[in-house]
Amino acid sequence: MNRLVTVAEMTVRELLRRRGVLLLLLLMPLTFYLIRRDAYLGQSVRSLLLGVGWAVSTAALFATSAARELEPRLRLAGYRPHHLYLGRMLGLWTVGLVISVPFFLLPMLDGADLRYGGLVAAMLCSVAVAAPFGMLIGTLLPRELEGTLLLLTVVTVQMLIDPAGSGAKLTPFWSSREIATWTVDHTDAGYLSRGVLHGLVVTALLVLAVATVAGVRLRRRRHLRHLPVG
Amino acid sequence: MNADYWLRALTAELHQRRVAPDAARHVVAEAATHLREGGGDPWVVFGPPQQYAGAIVESIGTAPPPRPGPVRLHADGITKRYGRRTVLRDASLTVRAGQIAAVVGANGCGKSTFLRICAGLMSPDAGEVTVSGRLGYCPQSGGTADFLLADEHFVLIGAGQGVARGPARRAGRVAARQLGWEAGGDTQARHLSGGTRQKLNLTMSTLSEPDVLLLDEPYQGFDQGTYVNFWDQLGRLRDAGTAIVVVTHLLNQLDRVDIVLDLTPTQPSGWVAPGVRGGRP
Repeated sequence: MNRLVTVAEMTVRELLRRRGVLLLLLLMPLTFYLIRRDAYLGQSVRSLLLGVGWAVSTAALFATSAARELEPRLRLAGYRPHHLYLGRMLGLWTVGLVISVPFFLLPMLDGADLRYGGLVAAMLCSVAVAAPFGMLIGTLLPRELEGTLLLLTVVTVQMLIDPAGSGAKLTPFWSSREIATWTVDHTDAGYLSRGVLHGLVVTALLVLAVATVAGVRLRRRRHLRHLPVG
Repeated sequence: MNADYWLRALTAELHQRRVAPDAARHVVAEAATHLREGGGDPWVVFGPPQQYAGAIVESIGTAPPPRPGPVRLHADGITKRYGRRTVLRDASLTVRAGQIAAVVGANGCGKSTFLRICAGLMSPDAGEVTVSGRLGYCPQSGGTADFLLADEHFVLIGAGQGVARGPARRAGRVAARQLGWEAGGDTQARHLSGGTRQKLNLTMSTLSEPDVLLLDEPYQGFDQGTYVNFWDQLGRLRDAGTAIVVVTHLLNQLDRVDIVLDLTPTQPSGWVAPGVRGGRP
């Protein structure tokens, strides 16, 4: 447990020291919100949620890329793969929740007529999905630029795809969009339950994928045999 | 270069050459007295510390080397290919407790690859490695977190071994001091100079008190004093029973090691340098 918490703590420390990146990450959801504010509040809130998802995914991507060279030696120092990826994920979820707070307050201060419980659920889904999603991309793509471009593509697809189409459910942040519809348009509870279920399933699948990839990358190699000190 | 620096370098040289501790202390004390009373530049009076230490060794001899301990690292028949190019062919190395092995060879001959295979960070196409005890690894570069402080690195490594924060920090600072670096500042790793960052890297690898220590050219960016401290520290670790493998291209240091593995493709791998101990089991 101590190893898990230590990795989580160091992830938070690293991210909080990237002040420039943090500011830009906070700017993005704000821009997403403000840019659609005059037209339609619902779209504005959906964009805000997508912005939070993008921000946390990008932070996760950077944190994962930065740890790429460090993790093998931490493995040698006594960590097991799950300490490393779960610890990092815990840290990212913590940072994600912290940066979500002002974006939860923003529509409230703006006087929007929303179901605020739904906004909390949508934010939680967005953060829960974004951390393992960014980590997965960071693990699979070694360079930050490639990962960022892939994230950009996913967010663009998410923004432009018809949410009612069957393909939309394959996009990672569909859950928060669905819950946002319940939050903004006061639709029936089916939107909320579908969204929450989607969020849980996608988060679980992404965590599993991260665990698999990290397990393979940081595995004990077969050619190496450890003997106790004789 | 002042007299104190010259005397420290002489001490390290005598230690490396296994001059008996009492005799070494006596030689250094005599040299210090001579310099204090007679003055003058020690480089002019005595010559370079290495040369003077060599003359001392010829004159008074060395302490008998400790018997090497049990085998700690045994790499056997390591072969590695990248596509059609074979970088390592049937390379073997055995290192016992209390020995230093140098892995040498031309650029691109697979020195770092061999070390990464020994550390279990990379799989070979053939061969196997047996390690007894705990393994420590210091990469050529990288391996640190840009936005963390040195103390936080020590805490991170310590937690892997179940060491509490306070003792991990203290152990890290003590190990760093042996390389002539006071590590307790609030400077993030990205702001450290290249040499200091490598000191952090090296300190991290020794922090877990490994039985087998693998070092991939860890002295990049070290100044002369740190370089002397580095070999001095390797000597201490060897005397404490650590098996050390160091990748190096500085052939003038080969007299300080027990085993030399040359990975240059034109030579048969696994030869033992003339006049040094150790080798294949």
